Amino acid sequence: MTRINLVLLLALLLSALYLVRTQYESRRLFVELERANAQARALEVERDRLEVDKRAQATPLRVEKLARGSLHMHVVTPALTDYVVLRHAPAASAPAGNGGSGGKS
Amino acid sequence: MSRSIRYSSSPLLASKTPVWRGRFVVATIALAFIGLAARAAYVQVIGNDFFQRQGEVRFGRTLELPANRGRILDRNGLILASSVPAPSIWAIPEDVERDPARLRALAKLLEMTPAELDKKLQDEDKTFVWLKRQVDESVAQDIAALGLKGIYQRQEYRRQYPEGEAATHVVGFTNVEEHGQEGIELAFNTELSGKPGSRRVIKDRMGRVVEDVGQTTPPADGPDLTLSIDSRVQFFAYQKLRDAVQLNKAKAGSVVVLDAVTGEVLALANYPSYIPDKRRNLTGEQLRNRALTDTFEPGSVMKPFTVGLGLETGRVSPQTVIDTGGGKLSLYGSTISDSHPNGALTVEGVIQKSSNIGTTKIAMQMQPREMWELFSQVGFGQKPQISFPGAVSGKLRPYKTWRPIEQATMSYGYGLSASLFQMVRSYTVFSHDGEIIPATLLKSSEPAPGVRVLQPRTATQIRKMLHMAAGPGGTGQKAQTIGYSVGGKSGTAYKQIGKGYGTDKNRKYRGWFVGMAPIEQPRIIVGVMIDEPTAGQYYGGVVAAPVFSDVVQQTLRMMGVQPDMAVKPQIVAEAPQESF
Repeated sequence: MTRINLVLLLALLLSALYLVRTQYESRRLFVELERANAQARALEVERDRLEVDKRAQATPLRVEKLARGSLHMHVVTPALTDYVVLRHAPAASAPAGNGGSGGKS
Repeated sequence: MSRSIRYSSSPLLASKTPVWRGRFVVATIALAFIGLAARAAYVQVIGNDFFQRQGEVRFGRTLELPANRGRILDRNGLILASSVPAPSIWAIPEDVERDPARLRALAKLLEMTPAELDKKLQDEDKTFVWLKRQVDESVAQDIAALGLKGIYQRQEYRRQYPEGEAATHVVGFTNVEEHGQEGIELAFNTELSGKPGSRRVIKDRMGRVVEDVGQTTPPADGPDLTLSIDSRVQFFAYQKLRDAVQLNKAKAGSVVVLDAVTGEVLALANYPSYIPDKRRNLTGEQLRNRALTDTFEPGSVMKPFTVGLGLETGRVSPQTVIDTGGGKLSLYGSTISDSHPNGALTVEGVIQKSSNIGTTKIAMQMQPREMWELFSQVGFGQKPQISFPGAVSGKLRPYKTWRPIEQATMSYGYGLSASLFQMVRSYTVFSHDGEIIPATLLKSSEPAPGVRVLQPRTATQIRKMLHMAAGPGGTGQKAQTIGYSVGGKSGTAYKQIGKGYGTDKNRKYRGWFVGMAPIEQPRIIVGVMIDEPTAGQYYGGVVAAPVFSDVVQQTLRMMGVQPDMAVKPQIVAEAPQESF
């Protein structure tokens, strides 16, 4: 009788220890999961912020200032442009510009 | 020697205690134990749920998971509005460690004087004091680096508007809580906000999340909204408008660009404008979205509708000759006058020379009901069906209340009022072969569903007349562009000063131009209005038409539309110069 009791007592002890270990594992993994989620959110927010920054660098006002100022560009008009129309026939492109070719385009 | 007392022969046993007293005590104690057992049974079996819930309430917390606000994009996917993190700094005054050097540094980072900071941290009874809301992230990182006890941060978001003042009347802005206050931010606030989620967790004593309990509802982020606005066209239109208003020393101006085929609004800009990130000293003048909210008498812009109705009902044809006489007509006791005497004009010439008398004579052949029906169908007196706050309906009185002289004045645009947006949209009836199409601020790729108002033939004839009005001999010659054929009507009016229109020395004007290009198969309709030009010129054809010309030129080039008029080739010198 006492032997069965002892065996059962041992089994109980072992299962209790295993339970403690599993609970600890679960909590540890949970903390890691939380940390990873927080990092994922922070990265998403950072990405959005960088996209807005990228857009702010390319606003039309800034681009125009740089184009006129440092690159000395100016706007194109039809007087400077050759318009080319691609036809479906195998003889690919047939230029259909207006007024012939201008100087620079 | 003491005598030992044996229990069984103790004299105390002989006392005559009544037996029931003993039994009574035992019974009472037994009852007490039964009571305890019953209570234990109740707590553990019957009332189990209640007590467990009570326990959970004490350590379980429901966390709200905030949803990200959707971005607003233009038709090409460029960002018009987006949320960026902007932490807010708060403090518990009691816990703040009073280190003068670090507090000074904190005050400098928060952009307030040390005295102001001390005042905020003075009241030790408060457990929560905002120090500054929505600071830049770099500033927040510096504050965290200071490592002051009692100073905490809360993650909040702030809207950023890369386009700034050019697009702000359309996009609008939000308040500190990220609720839309104006413009598209307001109109689509529910959709952009998304839905927050929730999560039930157990927190430990330190406030850290320990375990998830139950279901987690993930937050539904607000979807991105794609507008029909093209930010390049928007910026260019705003820039040209601003330059024209400043050149003509005017009070204000608006410009609207509509896609003639799909009804999409490509640009809608007003001047004066404001930078949405800096709203501290905002005035009502800057905030007004004039293109949608300010109404005025359309003037000559209505003449194509009157003539169109005359052609449609067969009462006139394009070559019918109308005698406008010496420039003055007496009608029902009032005088209608033209700016120049024009003599005999064809119907086409009536539009080209913008003759009030000619239009009146055409209108008097028609019923007021017919005119009212046409004006209503093209949108006058009706609220524009765009999902945008503040769009006004203008005024068009019912035809039964028109006096005979009013039928005449309405034919050339006085006696009713409309906003610039309504005027531009009404011209889709000429660009869309006689059908009126709805305008939309959201990107739409399908052609718009039209409602037939005029026959295609009438629309073509009117387009030809509009082209003549913008050509040699017309009032809108400054609207011409290089390479693209245009057509449109200019309008000029006195502004009301008090009860009348002021005296000769002291008048205020408004000039506008509404037109389309290219004229054979219009792709865009543009309307420009300049309010109170004071630099000498005030005619619509002079102050507003150049803006129209620039906007049309640039927009059609961006859309890749091939020029339909012959263009003289131009040699460009090495030195940079303005092409137009």
